[in-house]
Amino acid sequence: MDVHMLHFYPDLMNLYGSCANLLALGRYLTALGCTVTMNPVRPGDAADFTHADFLYMGAGTERRAEAAMTDFARFAPELKAAVSDGMAVLFAGTAMELLGKEIRRADGGAYAGTGLADFRTERQKTRTVGDVYGRTALFPEPVVGFLNTCGKMAGVETPLLESTELGVGNSLTPGPEGFHWKNVFASQLTGPLLVKNPKLLETVAAAIYARRGQTLPAERPRDEWAEKAYAVTEEQLRLRIK
Amino acid sequence: MRMLLAILLCKLGRFVGKLVGKGSSLPGKLALKVCPDILGRVALPGRIIAVTGSNGKTSTVEMIAAILRAGGKTVIWNEEGSNQIEGVATLVLTHASLSGKVRGDVLLIESDERYAAKTFKYFHPTEFVITNLYRDQLTRNGHPEWVYDAILPAIHPETTLLLNADDPLSSCFAQGHQRVKWFGMDRCAVSADAPGGLYRDGAFCPLCHAPMEYDYAHYNHIGAYRCTACGHRKPQTDYTVTAVDTDAWTVTLDGGTRIALAFQSIYNIYNILAAYAACRECGVSGEAAAGVLNNYLLKNGRMQKFTLGAHHGTLLTSKHENSIAYDTNLRYIAGRDGDCAVLVIVDAVSRKYFTSETSWLWDIDFDQLAVPQVKRVILSGRYCNDLADRFSFTRLENWSVIPDISAAADALKADGDEDLYVVTCFSDRDKLLSRVEKEA
Repeated sequence: MDVHMLHFYPDLMNLYGSCANLLALGRYLTALGCTVTMNPVRPGDAADFTHADFLYMGAGTERRAEAAMTDFARFAPELKAAVSDGMAVLFAGTAMELLGKEIRRADGGAYAGTGLADFRTERQKTRTVGDVYGRTALFPEPVVGFLNTCGKMAGVETPLLESTELGVGNSLTPGPEGFHWKNVFASQLTGPLLVKNPKLLETVAAAIYARRGQTLPAERPRDEWAEKAYAVTEEQLRLRIK
Repeated sequence: MRMLLAILLCKLGRFVGKLVGKGSSLPGKLALKVCPDILGRVALPGRIIAVTGSNGKTSTVEMIAAILRAGGKTVIWNEEGSNQIEGVATLVLTHASLSGKVRGDVLLIESDERYAAKTFKYFHPTEFVITNLYRDQLTRNGHPEWVYDAILPAIHPETTLLLNADDPLSSCFAQGHQRVKWFGMDRCAVSADAPGGLYRDGAFCPLCHAPMEYDYAHYNHIGAYRCTACGHRKPQTDYTVTAVDTDAWTVTLDGGTRIALAFQSIYNIYNILAAYAACRECGVSGEAAAGVLNNYLLKNGRMQKFTLGAHHGTLLTSKHENSIAYDTNLRYIAGRDGDCAVLVIVDAVSRKYFTSETSWLWDIDFDQLAVPQVKRVILSGRYCNDLADRFSFTRLENWSVIPDISAAADALKADGDEDLYVVTCFSDRDKLLSRVEKEA
C-alpha cells in the first residue's frame, strides 16, 4: 500500500522532538510493507489533499503556531472535507489549538483556528508543564506524555483521553485531554507521543488503513525498545499518582 | 531596622549553613522574608555584571571573575551556583557591612534566565551579558520564546547589554534598547555553510516569521542569519573571534589577541568571547584578558578527566533536556583523533525535579557519532530504553545497552583500552565518577 503523508511546517512546528512522531509512524508502516512518502509543506507551498492518507502538524511556540495558522487558514475547507472522508490526522502540542474555532492571546486579541471543531483556546500568562498519565477509550493501556502549554481549552466534546490520573487535561485541571473525532487525533502532549505510546502508534496506523477499507495485518512490527521505554515511564508515573 | 535584621539573619544563616553543609539560598530567602526590598536598600558596588542565557553562564562568569581578580579587583560572585534571587540575596548580604554597604569592586551575578526579572527588580546590572537562548529544560522553561519574554522585564534602560550577535533570538533584546554591545564570531575554520542539527530554529525570523537565510553557521542555528523580509540580521560585532586555528587550537580576538584553548569546543570559544567582551567593557585591556584566558582551565568541573581500567576517560557534562549541549559535546567527540568508546547515561532527567520526559532525545543529532574512530557506544541508566529507541533511528549500529550504570562501568573497566567519553548530566555524573579514578 502506498501511503502519502503531508507534514505541515516541519521547520516552524517542530518543538521538542515533534518530528519523531512521523519517523515512528513511517517506520511502522514501512515494516508493514507500505511504501511511505512524506511531503513537507512549508508556508506558501501547495499541498495535495486529494492523494494524502495522513496529515501531521507538530508543536510550536505560541508565536509560531499563530504564524502557522496564518498560512494554514487557506487549507481549512480541504481539511474539513478530508476529515469527513475519514483521513487520518495527528495534530500534536500547540497544533491542536488550530483545529478549534478560536485562539485568544494572553495579552488580548484573538485569531481564528480552522473551525474543524467547536472548542476554543484561551492562552494564559502562566505555563502549565508536567508529566501526564491518562486513559483513552481507544485501548486499555494508559497514555503517558508531557504537557507543556499555556493554552486553556474549553468546548472539546470528544477528547482523546477521557481522564488524566496524573497531570492535567484541556482545561488545565485534571480531566479530559486532547481531541478525537473520526480519524483525527490531537493532543496537547508535547513531542513524540507516538514513540512514547506504542499503542497509540498502532491506533493511528490502523486509522490510515481503515480509510482504505483495510485492517492492520495480524502480524505487526514490534519496537521492543519503545515498549520497554513505555513500561518504565508508565511505572514511574503510576508510582506518582496519589 | 528591618535591613539590619535581614543582614544579621542572612549572615547567621550562612554561618550555620556552612557548618552543616547546607545550600546557599536559604539565608537569602529568610532575609527576603524579613525585608523583601533588601536588595534595593543595600549600597551595592558601582559595577554590577550579570550573565544569563541557556548555556555558558557558569563558565563565562568564572572566567570574568578570574580576569577581574587578576587585575586586582575585589569580585563578589555566586560561585556556588545559586542563581535565583534567594542565592543572590545570600551573596550580597553576606558581603555587606551591618550598615548595608557591600564590600567589593564588582558584583558578578550568574542569573537564572527565568527569574532574572525578579532578581533585578530592586537593582539593575551595569553590564548584562546574555549568552544565548535556545531549547533548554522544557520541564521548567517551556520554550525559548517564553524565556525571552521572561527576561525582557529584567532589562533596565541604563544597562549595557552585551549580546551574542550570532544568536537570532537573544539578539532581539536589542530591539528598542539604546546601550548594546555585540560579541560574535566571524566566519572561520569551525564554521559551516548552513545551520546544522536536527531542527531548524533559525529557519524563520523570530520577529516577523519570514524565512531566514544564513551566510554561515558556527553550530546549530548560531551564525550569520538574515531575515528575508524585516531586516533582522547578524549585526556588526564590537568584540569578535576573527579566526580559529584548528591545528594549534587557538582563537584570535579582534584580529590581534591570540588565545590557546585548553578545551577545544565551540562552547568554550563563545564563553571566552563573552567573558572577554564583558571585561573589555569594564576597562580591562585585551592583553590582560588574554593573559588570563590563555589555556584557561575551567574549575567548575564541567569536564572531568578520569581513568577506568585501561581507559583514559573524559566526562563531558551535558545538560539533559538541552539538545544543543549534547550536540556540542558529540561534535567534540567526533572531532577527536584515536579510537574511542562513548557511554551515554540518562538515569535521572533532572537533579532538581522528577520527570519522565525524554522528548529532548529526539532533538539530539546522535548521528554525529557515526565516525570511524567511535568504536562502540553504550547506553545506560533508567531511560536507556528511550535512548536505545532513539539510537534505532540513527545510522549507528555499534551501540549496546547496559541498564545499570555500575555494570556499564564494570564492563568497560574489564574490556578495552580506547579513550572513553562519557556524556551525561549533573544529575547522573556522580553515579559514574564514583566508579572511576579521577584525575586532577
